Amino acid sequence: MIWAIFIKSIKEQLRNFWILILTVSMAPFFVFVYFLINEASQPHYRALIVNQDQGVTVQDEQINIGSALLPGFQEYIDSMENIPLSIRSAGSRAAAIKKIETRKADVLLVIPAHFSQALLSEATHTPELEIVGNLTSTGYLISAVWVGEMLNEFMAQQTGQERLFTVKETALGLSGQIDEFEIWVPGILILSIIMLMFSATIAIIVEVDQGTILRMKLSGMRAWQFLVGVGSSQMLVGIIAIFLTLAAATSLGFEMRGSFWSFLLITVLTSISMIAFSLILAAVTRSVTDVLVVGNFPLFLFMFFSGAAFPISPQAWFYLGDYGVSWQTLMSAAPAISALQKTSIMGVGLADVGGELLALVFMTAIYFAIGLWGFQRRHLRTK
Amino acid sequence: MISISHLRKNFGDLAAVDDLSLTINHGEILGLLGPNGAGKTTTIRMLCDLLERDGGEIHWETTGELSEIIGFCSQENLYWPRLTCREQLVFLGTMHKMSAAAAHSRAIELLNMLGLAGKTDVYAAKLSGGMQRRLNIALALIHDPPVLILDEPEAGLDPQSRILVRDLIRSLARQKTVIITTHNMDEAERLSDRVAIIDHGKLLEVGSVDSLKQSLGSGDCLECRFETDLGYLLTEKSSPATQFIEAISSLGLATDTISVVQDKLLIRSFQHLEKLSALTDLAKMQGLEIQDIQLRKTTLEDVFINLTGRALRE
Repeated sequence: MIWAIFIKSIKEQLRNFWILILTVSMAPFFVFVYFLINEASQPHYRALIVNQDQGVTVQDEQINIGSALLPGFQEYIDSMENIPLSIRSAGSRAAAIKKIETRKADVLLVIPAHFSQALLSEATHTPELEIVGNLTSTGYLISAVWVGEMLNEFMAQQTGQERLFTVKETALGLSGQIDEFEIWVPGILILSIIMLMFSATIAIIVEVDQGTILRMKLSGMRAWQFLVGVGSSQMLVGIIAIFLTLAAATSLGFEMRGSFWSFLLITVLTSISMIAFSLILAAVTRSVTDVLVVGNFPLFLFMFFSGAAFPISPQAWFYLGDYGVSWQTLMSAAPAISALQKTSIMGVGLADVGGELLALVFMTAIYFAIGLWGFQRRHLRTK
Repeated sequence: MISISHLRKNFGDLAAVDDLSLTINHGEILGLLGPNGAGKTTTIRMLCDLLERDGGEIHWETTGELSEIIGFCSQENLYWPRLTCREQLVFLGTMHKMSAAAAHSRAIELLNMLGLAGKTDVYAAKLSGGMQRRLNIALALIHDPPVLILDEPEAGLDPQSRILVRDLIRSLARQKTVIITTHNMDEAERLSDRVAIIDHGKLLEVGSVDSLKQSLGSGDCLECRFETDLGYLLTEKSSPATQFIEAISSLGLATDTISVVQDKLLIRSFQHLEKLSALTDLAKMQGLEIQDIQLRKTTLEDVFINLTGRALRE
């Protein structure tokens, strides 16, 4: 009987493909949106160099140190990872300033005309380099610091001077390994499961809406058989949605660091949880139209307050292991996101997310109990 | 045999079914007649165990689970629009614990029986209204139940489909007990072996169509239509209409029933033809002009109206 319901539900899902498409495509779509937002919000600084250095002739050889500056800077940038700075040559000081004024560049370095001559002459004549920019702009400040550092490095290399010290950079947390986009991905993966809320509720309520629940009741079917049959088909939809979302995220640079099986366990548990929640939604609605209206309220709550769309860290009421239980835990997606972030980004094992898993399972049981009671009372009772 | 005794169901203060007792024999077609809100659907729902009863007993001669005993065809067409005719019959058969192979062969048999053989792999949503109705009946029959309950089985059917469904129900009644609820007197009269008339949750009368007609009185029905509203005139004392009605008895008609509804006078009696000219003369004397005279057999509708009255129901 459960198998028959499962197969029927799958057929209906495939034939009513708009809801299926909505369910499986929304989260991959969000992955692209977050990727684009992340790309757009990544800082990038642009420096310009105007080389006015006329160079000097030494023993019939033309030397122009100013012209070696640009390749030297580029070499420095290439040697460092993740420096969001680009450097280009500008034709004239006026043209470069125009670019800064129109925010097409952040800083301008002007190499004076007698730069090579001053450096190579034995006279103690210090060349004066000019840095131009909008001093109120953060972009200028950061670019100017980099340009100054690169200049010092270049001059030290050119003059063969030893540095008195070196600086080692230590990245805190995962900031050196992952970018902001990757931090978002676990939330979006859970969002793909949250979207099950609509398709699962519709798959249940459609039987009430078209009256066929009566036929199924008359066949002697029990409520749990119906829910397991429909729920299994939704689980399949959920898994497809998760893998499509994961594929989209991976194609855009997300790298899963934890165990695949941990990932699968957490996402399957979350799918069961959302199907259980759908039962509650089915219990308070009577038609597909009702679901599409009423369903938006819990969808928004789960989407925006569980941490799927953006992080929220409410005050914990108490702790289950490392996991702080708060009002957010009432939405089972919250512990699921926390667990997925820890396992797939930080690479920890399941034992380290025991608190999250416990909270997830507990909330799922609560959803099932309320949903089954409500659904039976509203749609299957004989009074 | 199904034996219903002292069945009761209340919705708040309203007694939807009030001490209803009825026996339905194996192999018979019982027509359950009643106006809207009479308690037909409530009775049916209690029979199908879709509604808890407040009192009374229902005894089924056939043993087994109720889901295997009853086949229910509701008034609304209940089907899965995105499954083909065959798919939904096989699905429902499987739900009724049939093997997939048995459900499949039964589905094909039913689709042939109900003239849907050419629509086996067509989605139910794409069938015409009449075909959907027939599919609805097929769904009720998929598990070959010994008791078939049909709620308005001919509603929404064209004449050809009506004949097909009627023949099918008659043929099924040879092996099954069939209960039909209907408003359609013609449908009830043509199909039912016995008719049970219920109103306000109570069983008013049960019997064969002929015996119910007999209960109204002997003879045929003479229906005279007048130019004027006879019913309205009768509300006035000593009006020509009142005098006319009083004078009818002087004609020596062996009347069992005389009733007036608006412009119609209905007399159920023998000897109509002999007294017809005297009746028309009497009307003329009172200045009442007869527009139309019709002599017809007593119908089930006459019985129904006689028992349930003419008041409109909510």
